[in-house]
Amino acid sequence: MALTSRIVEWLDERLNLSDVRHFIQEKGVPIHAQKLWYYLGGVTLFLFMVQVASGILLLLYYRPSSAEAYESVQFIVTQVEFGWLIRNIHSWSANLLILAAFAHMFSVFFLKAYRKPRELTWVSGVFLLFLMLGFGFSGYLLPWNELSFFATKVGTSITGAVPVIGPPLVRFLRGGDDVTGATLSRFYALHVAILPATATILLGLHLLFVQRQGMSVPIKTLRALKPGERLKEMPFFPDYILRDVLVWYIAIATLAALAAFYPWELGRKADAFAAVPAGIRPEWYFLAMFHTLKLLPSHIMGLEGEMLGVLAFGLAAAVLVIVPFLDRRASRGEPSPALTVLGVLALIYMIAFTIIGYMAA
Amino acid sequence: MTWFRGLACVVFPAVVMLACTGVGTASAQTAQTAANGCVACHASLPDARLSAPPAALQGDVHQTHGFSCVDCHGGDASAAEKPAAHNAAKGYRGKPSGKDVITVCARCHSDAELMHKFAPRQRVDQAAEYATSVHGKRLASGDTQVATCISCHGAHGVRLVNDAKSPAFPTNVAATCGGCHASAEHMKGYTLPDGKPLPTSQLADYQRSVHHAALTKNNDLSAPTCNDCHGNHGAAPPGVSSLTTVCGTCHTVFATKFATSVHAQIFERACIECHSNHAVLQPSDEMLGTSSQTVCASCHSDKDDPGYVASAKMRASIDRFKHGIDSSANLIGRVKNAGMEVGDDELALNEARTRLVLARTEMHAFDPGSLDGVVGEGMKILAGVDQAGNRSLAELAYRRRGLFVSLAAILLLVIALVFKIKGLEAKS
Amino acid sequence: MNRRRFLDGILGAGFTSTLAAIVYPVWRYLIPPVSGEPATQSVVAARTAEVKANSALLFKFGSKPGLLVRTPEGELQAFSAVCTHLQCTVQYKADTSQIWCACHNGLYDLAGNVVSGPPPRPLERLTVNQRGDDIVVSRT
Repeated sequence: MALTSRIVEWLDERLNLSDVRHFIQEKGVPIHAQKLWYYLGGVTLFLFMVQVASGILLLLYYRPSSAEAYESVQFIVTQVEFGWLIRNIHSWSANLLILAAFAHMFSVFFLKAYRKPRELTWVSGVFLLFLMLGFGFSGYLLPWNELSFFATKVGTSITGAVPVIGPPLVRFLRGGDDVTGATLSRFYALHVAILPATATILLGLHLLFVQRQGMSVPIKTLRALKPGERLKEMPFFPDYILRDVLVWYIAIATLAALAAFYPWELGRKADAFAAVPAGIRPEWYFLAMFHTLKLLPSHIMGLEGEMLGVLAFGLAAAVLVIVPFLDRRASRGEPSPALTVLGVLALIYMIAFTIIGYMAA
Repeated sequence: MTWFRGLACVVFPAVVMLACTGVGTASAQTAQTAANGCVACHASLPDARLSAPPAALQGDVHQTHGFSCVDCHGGDASAAEKPAAHNAAKGYRGKPSGKDVITVCARCHSDAELMHKFAPRQRVDQAAEYATSVHGKRLASGDTQVATCISCHGAHGVRLVNDAKSPAFPTNVAATCGGCHASAEHMKGYTLPDGKPLPTSQLADYQRSVHHAALTKNNDLSAPTCNDCHGNHGAAPPGVSSLTTVCGTCHTVFATKFATSVHAQIFERACIECHSNHAVLQPSDEMLGTSSQTVCASCHSDKDDPGYVASAKMRASIDRFKHGIDSSANLIGRVKNAGMEVGDDELALNEARTRLVLARTEMHAFDPGSLDGVVGEGMKILAGVDQAGNRSLAELAYRRRGLFVSLAAILLLVIALVFKIKGLEAKS
Repeated sequence: MNRRRFLDGILGAGFTSTLAAIVYPVWRYLIPPVSGEPATQSVVAARTAEVKANSALLFKFGSKPGLLVRTPEGELQAFSAVCTHLQCTVQYKADTSQIWCACHNGLYDLAGNVVSGPPPRPLERLTVNQRGDDIVVSRT
């Protein structure tokens, strides 16, 4: 401990860390009935860090060409010491990360933490969620096995349903008319450079906003306060940090359990000329959307069913981004049950269709 | 005067060159007129039988080398009128038929000195060989229905045998022979040595065979067609005693094994007893054994028959081996999919599959003991593969246990953290 | 030792072992494995000294066998050891300096061309290079 305080003093002399130290000492987290939801943001951040670290490790051995991608992943899991562990962690943490991101988003939504003054935090967060989905989609192709190849083929063809810009968008995503090595190159660039760079900026902003504004307190809790009463707070350091670390350890335990019970398989190397395997479907986080599109009739009122479906999802995404600006009541500090109901319906729809999508296979 | 000398240097050689070309052209034109004489007349005749030959000459190998109509038919090519052209005094012999065909072709093709000028590698004994063949012998006794040179090689539009359009090119041979041998009308009256009528099913049978498939689908020109077993110009069915040798020309290992077996002394028709002569189908393990669909059962149907016992044993051996290969391959597949290194095991499986191929060869010695030797080697390899596969599975289980242990450690730590947090809470 | 310090001790040990449990695998992961790189395009077949004149050895190339031959003249050749007939594994016959397939007596010469027997195509040739003491075989 003496060493750390000497290092801190050395830095303080040069960088004047008094503001930072004061901030850390004074930072507090409100205590109330809903405080457990606060941990979801931290877990999401933790899992993202795990992805970055394991992803960088995989990057040391992975080869992004259709001739070698599968073999390089096989090399990692068979020849590189603990390669199987790093790969399993990366694959499972991806799923947990998206789950945590959705849970974080929904908890913020239902607790109306997006209301004024935290609109920008919400907007940056929603875009981060989209980025995570982009990470998931682009990363899924990289092992270049049958499942990932055909899932990408099906997934990218759906973007073709967007009116006007659909077909050029598909060509842009695929790097051509079909899913080929060109697609792999593109997705690789997306996955290791473009998305991480964008995510770093957005994440930085997102965390900056959170530090500046502190934690939001639910409307009901605020309203229940007696005049002049202030919410009790726990100091961020060491109390909240220890709890955060506890949750992170539970996340690590979940990861270890998943890697032990359901180790990720290699699959068969992708063959562009093989038939699409029956029952092909994307990963669970796209399943609700995918299954909805499958169930839509081919034409609705003269318009293509798939196009309407894709437009509807686009509209939903747009609405999600501007939720803080739509919810006037919450901005005023009043409960807004209408949006809560909408949110519950959306959640039920997503869970139900994910389950139905699974059972349909 | 220098300008005159300069001009002469240019003009004089040019004139000489033109003159020479003129002379050359003149002689070429004579030759062309010579050939054109026949062609010019025949091409305009209404009867298709007379106008077709000149048209067919396009691409003909003889014409390419400067031969023309008169070299085979005789006569005068420069004459414009039929009597003058078809002048017997000039050697005109009309359309050669029967034995005359052989004479006409052999006039050049049996002349080693002549053939040396055009195709030094080509053989010059075709006519002599032909005389020994069934076709040749029958022709000598007056049967003009049999095949002669032009039946297989054509008369006009003859191509080299290695030209894919030639009727004598390997992929075309069966259809060429079948042109006569598959026609019931043509083969009427011909009989086998034992008096039965000559069959016409050979072409249809051959087209069902693996040899035909190898030739036409896989472009494997080493696959046999009619002439590979029956001979080319000396075409005759292989004698019964020589069947093993004929098949054994390519299938050496099988012939060697078969020769050691008990069947070699019993079978009159050797390989053909089980595999047929023309309809040689893809063999399978289904041919071996005791059930009614097997080939063995056609002779060995009695349970006390040692042949029956042997075939049952051999079939059981091979089936056991195949089953073992499948289950080992399955195991390795599972292990590979789970992400373990299986390169060496896959190589070993290759070795085991090689043993299966060898076992099917060994079977032709019809000795269960020697077959079990080969199968035994293969099963040993499989045992090694299974061991390696199970070791990999054990390694996977070990990793799983390791992760469980870490899980337990993490949970302990979580409990400790909870206590710590509670402690801090109590303090504040 | 009171309870609090005992707890702190456990926590300290726990964090340290977590750190070790992360650092150790990462450390081992970072060390390049012996086999170097995925064996799709090239592989180290043997050491120079292992292959004598007029001899050959089988090596693993991806999931298929390969044959590394040193001709009687001392030249190194490498082929895919998969016979083009029925995919048996071929071997080298030193007495005739030919490559032989035991299954149906296929024979190849030292250029991989078919000499006799049922194989329809020559053996696939692979490129041989020397890298120090290693003989590296690769697919062209």
